[in-house]
Amino acid sequence: MFKTLKRFWLTLLSIVLLVGLFSMSIGAEKVKLVYMTAGDVNMLALGQHVLGPKFNEKFPDVSVMTVHTGPGNAGSRLIFEKMLADKDKEEGDIDVAIVHEIFLKWAMEEDLLLNYAKELETWKYITSPFAKNALGVNVEGYCMPMFHSQTVLAYNPKYLPDPPKSYAELVEWVKKNPGKFGYNGIKGGMSGVAFSVGWIYWKTGKYEKYAITGPFEETEIATWEQPVKELKEFDKYVTLTGGNVATLDALNRGEIWIGPVWVDMFLSWLAEGKLDPASRIILPEPGMPGQPMHFVIPKNSPHPEEAKKFVEFVTSPMTQAEDIVKRFNWYPGIDGSYIKDFVPQETFDTIYKDVTPEMLAKYGLAFPLGDYNTAMLEALE
Amino acid sequence: MGYSLKKELNLKENKKEVGEKYSHLTSPLLPYLLVLPAVMVIVLLYLYPFLASFWKSFIGKDGILSLSNYQKTLNLYRMDIIFTFGVTVLSTLIATCLSILLSVYLKLSKSWLAKQIGILYRLPIFLPYVVVAQMMRSFLAPHGILNLILAKSGLIDIENPLQFFNWVGLTFGFVWKEAPFMVLIILAGFQMIDDSYIEAAKSVGAKLPQIITKILVPMNKSNILVAATLVFCSLVGCFSFPYMLIGGKTPGTITIDIAHRVNYFGDYGVANALGVFSYLMVSLLAVYYIRSMMKKGLYE
Repeated sequence: MFKTLKRFWLTLLSIVLLVGLFSMSIGAEKVKLVYMTAGDVNMLALGQHVLGPKFNEKFPDVSVMTVHTGPGNAGSRLIFEKMLADKDKEEGDIDVAIVHEIFLKWAMEEDLLLNYAKELETWKYITSPFAKNALGVNVEGYCMPMFHSQTVLAYNPKYLPDPPKSYAELVEWVKKNPGKFGYNGIKGGMSGVAFSVGWIYWKTGKYEKYAITGPFEETEIATWEQPVKELKEFDKYVTLTGGNVATLDALNRGEIWIGPVWVDMFLSWLAEGKLDPASRIILPEPGMPGQPMHFVIPKNSPHPEEAKKFVEFVTSPMTQAEDIVKRFNWYPGIDGSYIKDFVPQETFDTIYKDVTPEMLAKYGLAFPLGDYNTAMLEALE
Repeated sequence: MGYSLKKELNLKENKKEVGEKYSHLTSPLLPYLLVLPAVMVIVLLYLYPFLASFWKSFIGKDGILSLSNYQKTLNLYRMDIIFTFGVTVLSTLIATCLSILLSVYLKLSKSWLAKQIGILYRLPIFLPYVVVAQMMRSFLAPHGILNLILAKSGLIDIENPLQFFNWVGLTFGFVWKEAPFMVLIILAGFQMIDDSYIEAAKSVGAKLPQIITKILVPMNKSNILVAATLVFCSLVGCFSFPYMLIGGKTPGTITIDIAHRVNYFGDYGVANALGVFSYLMVSLLAVYYIRSMMKKGLYE
């Protein structure tokens, strides 16, 4: 009895060992692509459940490992610090990453990135100016936009049939309806930052200088004193929420009637039934900022060729249409005209129903140039 | 009894022999070698980062030794430092009082209810702050569960709800999460107190308040203070809960500001200076905690 048992265990052990060795030898041929992503949890879901498996289906030898670093600049900061720490290594740990615009400024200063985009098949689909210039830094060739997102004001027509159409109207409106406009300030996430930056654009009328042409001049900072004071006065009539999600939550519970949100989060929540289906969005005059998220490949990526293939795959019209637009409700990273054939008309209608492409072109602004961005946030403290 | 004593003596003799046998291996260095790994962990993972953060708080943007970070911190975040201190002290005080009362109840009552509470109260200890934050966000929201209950029972108007996304909600969440942890420590202390003290007090006419203030609390003073210290220190450093509850508001907590400085400005100087203020807050209690631990010694 004892002997049989012993033999059984020995056989089992050798099978386990053999299987282990066998799979290891298979695994040795496979490439594991380390894909780091900043952004909200939807970015993790996108990598883990959509892009990774689909890419693996197309390229069975390459598996994608998604690593999530967290929302907002904080998430991009972590990726930057990891790449910086790996800078002097011949081979870093990250193959490809998806980051916010501010990351490009940091990484370009440290010369961390590979100039790869123009080698890609899909480079010809890129028409967005954001792919060439990020916060005033020339990034052409170093990044590929995965999607573009825009901040807008979301409102519930049940309480607010005729929403304010501009910042000026909004200021009048909050005085009559105190507490019914809500946003997350400058420490609670990017939609609040976008609203505050839009406020300064509006008050100074210098969007061109701050976000496109530059140059950076210290003297500008003093001119923001009055706008910031007025924003603090405005804050007395509004509800300050605890984050991007908290604004949507408050909107859904009817605590606030209108507030700034990211359009993709808004549409996803609507599709998932987490918001009153009647909710609508509006892009107020003279506009609010939006930003893309970009693919970057570090100079010391262990698998640069596979990383390029991955970026090419995600920026192909098919993936852009299926996953970026239809599934996650972002605006495409590549030129919209190339994906029309792959996306049903109703999807287009949903995405562009309230905020039309014309409105986007007119009122969809960029975040300020790097130095202005920092100075504005500092002034808004 | 006699047998075990004999055995113990035997053991001691054995040990002595072993000691003599291997005496050539022991050198004056051996004890230091043995504690080296533990000391290195403390030095590398705690002491070095702590000193580095302290030092870097005095280095301005241009790399020169200055107080500019402190100047900026006090200009921008003075209210936040006071706010953090205030909320932490208030939460610790309330949590201490509540946990003493609950521990007294659990110690003195033998009822069925007390047994159930004795199991249930531990639940919040196992919840991470992120989960607590998400719970509090829907529980305390202007149109959240609490306000809806109050409105349904006619106590408030839902269009003019109670506002909890401020120091009140923060204190509520802190107490909800930390009081059970304090009960765990304080109750353990109470259980060590012999019932005969309480019975003796009762027999000479002591009422419950007197039993609490004259017997239970004084005899368990060190445990209560240790629990309060641990809770105070963890509240000063708590980030996720304040960030999720009052992230965008001013005043906020020091931890929110540190995250903001690092994430948006990459400004470790001011972040470190803010950190130093939180070290100052916890240092008084930390010194007390270490001293009381030293006093207790190994064999208490």
